[in-house]
Amino acid sequence: MFRITSVITLIVLSWQTVAQPEPRELIEKAMDHWRGLTSYTEMTLIIHRPKWERSMSMQSWTQGAEQSLVRVTAPVKDAGNGTLLKDKNMWTYAPKINRVIKIPSSMMNQSWMGSDLSNNDISKSTDIIDQYDHTLLETKEVEGHTVYVIQSIPHEDAAVVWGKEIHSIRDDYVMLEEQFWDQDGVLVKTFSASDIKEFDGRSVAAIMRMQEVDKPGQWTEMRVDDTHFDIDLPANLFTLSSLRNPRR
Amino acid sequence: MADKHSPSAGILATLAWRNLWRNYRRTLIMLTAIVVGVWAMILFSAMMRGMLDEMVQAGLRVLPGEVQVHHPDYQDDPSVVNSMSAPKGKLLQVLNTPPVTAWTTRLKVPGMISSERDNRGVLLLGVDPAGEIALGFDPGDIVQGRFLESADDKGIVIGRKLAERLETRLGKRVVIMSQNPYNDVADRGVRIVGIYRARLQATEELFVYTSRALLQKMLEVEDEISEVAITADNYEHVDAWWRDIDAAAGPDLDTQPWTVLDAYLGSMYEIQGTMNVIIMVIIFIALSFGLVNTLVMAVFERVREIGLMMALGMRPQWIMYQVLLESLMLLSLGLVIGNALATATVLPLESGIDISVVGDGLEMYGMGATLYPTLALEDMLMSTLIVLVLGLLASLIPAWRASRYNPVEALTKT
Repeated sequence: MFRITSVITLIVLSWQTVAQPEPRELIEKAMDHWRGLTSYTEMTLIIHRPKWERSMSMQSWTQGAEQSLVRVTAPVKDAGNGTLLKDKNMWTYAPKINRVIKIPSSMMNQSWMGSDLSNNDISKSTDIIDQYDHTLLETKEVEGHTVYVIQSIPHEDAAVVWGKEIHSIRDDYVMLEEQFWDQDGVLVKTFSASDIKEFDGRSVAAIMRMQEVDKPGQWTEMRVDDTHFDIDLPANLFTLSSLRNPRR
Repeated sequence: MADKHSPSAGILATLAWRNLWRNYRRTLIMLTAIVVGVWAMILFSAMMRGMLDEMVQAGLRVLPGEVQVHHPDYQDDPSVVNSMSAPKGKLLQVLNTPPVTAWTTRLKVPGMISSERDNRGVLLLGVDPAGEIALGFDPGDIVQGRFLESADDKGIVIGRKLAERLETRLGKRVVIMSQNPYNDVADRGVRIVGIYRARLQATEELFVYTSRALLQKMLEVEDEISEVAITADNYEHVDAWWRDIDAAAGPDLDTQPWTVLDAYLGSMYEIQGTMNVIIMVIIFIALSFGLVNTLVMAVFERVREIGLMMALGMRPQWIMYQVLLESLMLLSLGLVIGNALATATVLPLESGIDISVVGDGLEMYGMGATLYPTLALEDMLMSTLIVLVLGLLASLIPAWRASRYNPVEALTKT
């Protein structure tokens, strides 16, 4: 009798550990999932304001967590503008002035290509995960998927202004939503995903939108048109010369 | 009197005094003009002096240290690359001997501060709290929370206006960001432990205090500093000792007094005396037209009388003396009343005039919302000297004309 109960307890315990994965790992996997080992993406960036809207087409390549290159392809006015991220450093290139500029720390909080994303939002890499305490808030069922809601509270000395961030991650590692809360517990902005589709054998959110709560008519959307994972990239792709001279 | 025929000075004085009051209305008008002129000169210079003193002192109070030692390239490019090691050897020895009363070291680099809502460019100051207070930071300016307490305090102290701009407040976390010597982004989160107020909003928005150790660690510079700030009680006498510091710091470091560090303040301080004199002279030139006119009229009215005196044997130069004496009396009377009036006006105002109505505009010049006029003996003496000397010079024209009359022609003039 005693043995049976202990076996049941064991089963229950082990079931719980299976059902409640390590939240830190979930976030890391979600980021890796979105990025892959290497990736190539064609997307459209839509910047919406109450009185106008503009869109840009761009290509982006990533390799691991530390290297990525983004290049604008349309409209013609912006074509050729590029951003290179490598080992926490960031450079931009504007063909109109034919200059590569390294983004100094003072410009990291400025908007990236006029969008609602800051240079900081673009360049923050996975190692920032270590600067938070992650806890699993709840697990829910949405459209046949398990969704994990994780609360991440930054450490005292973390270079993060938020009071907390809340991530919603689907069991296939699609990041559904990222909420940014201020230190008074007020929601400031959300980065949410919708229209989840299959691309190159993975579920990927085709639309990601950054929206500030108190500016309803103003948002930035990234629409993924096509993406490929784990492809071979030339070794010289993530260099300043390739930022300046596209060769493909 | 050298000449035995010369009239006694007493008679000349009596004549001048009586002539002055023959047309008392005209004299009173002229006297009023002189009084108002002198009063305006002194009042203006008192205001000017108050304004400039206040500006210089307040300017020096912002980030104290009348003499500062930097890396030679720091002034041109205040980046962390241009930092130096803490003072040692000969420099340290000079710093610990009079007339130096206090000194401290700071790591001072431009950076960014961000809250959830906004971000701003600021000047990050890594300070030693005790040294900063010894140098002149007033802990009474902390309006909320506390000032930094130790050299490795983990908190940050920001200005009232900056907190407002960032929509943050005491006890919340902000992120500070700058660049380390390897040109990489260096950032970390810090909690606001205190909020200070300053006389100028621009100061409140610019300076952010952190402990030196915290900033050094963030920027990955061990024991490096940007400046040594030194003070000895009186900022006006800085020229007497800053060269000693310079000599001790050696040729590899740049030592400068505040007159060079803040060239705007330095030149303001230097031109204030000159400016007062120029204004006084301008006021006097306007005044002198009235004075000359009055005297010319007075002489013109008495042509026959002057002719008679000359016919009776009065020498031309005595006629001249008499007119000059008349002018001197008028000027002296005006000076006495003018000075008295100016003193009576300025003294009650020395406690401060509220000019906050136009405060925003004046802030551009580094001025506060209260003006404290300062009555200086120097200015009063200067205005007296200018009025007397230039007044007598101006009176020479009518006096000389009076002495040039031909007695016969003058007597027959109708």
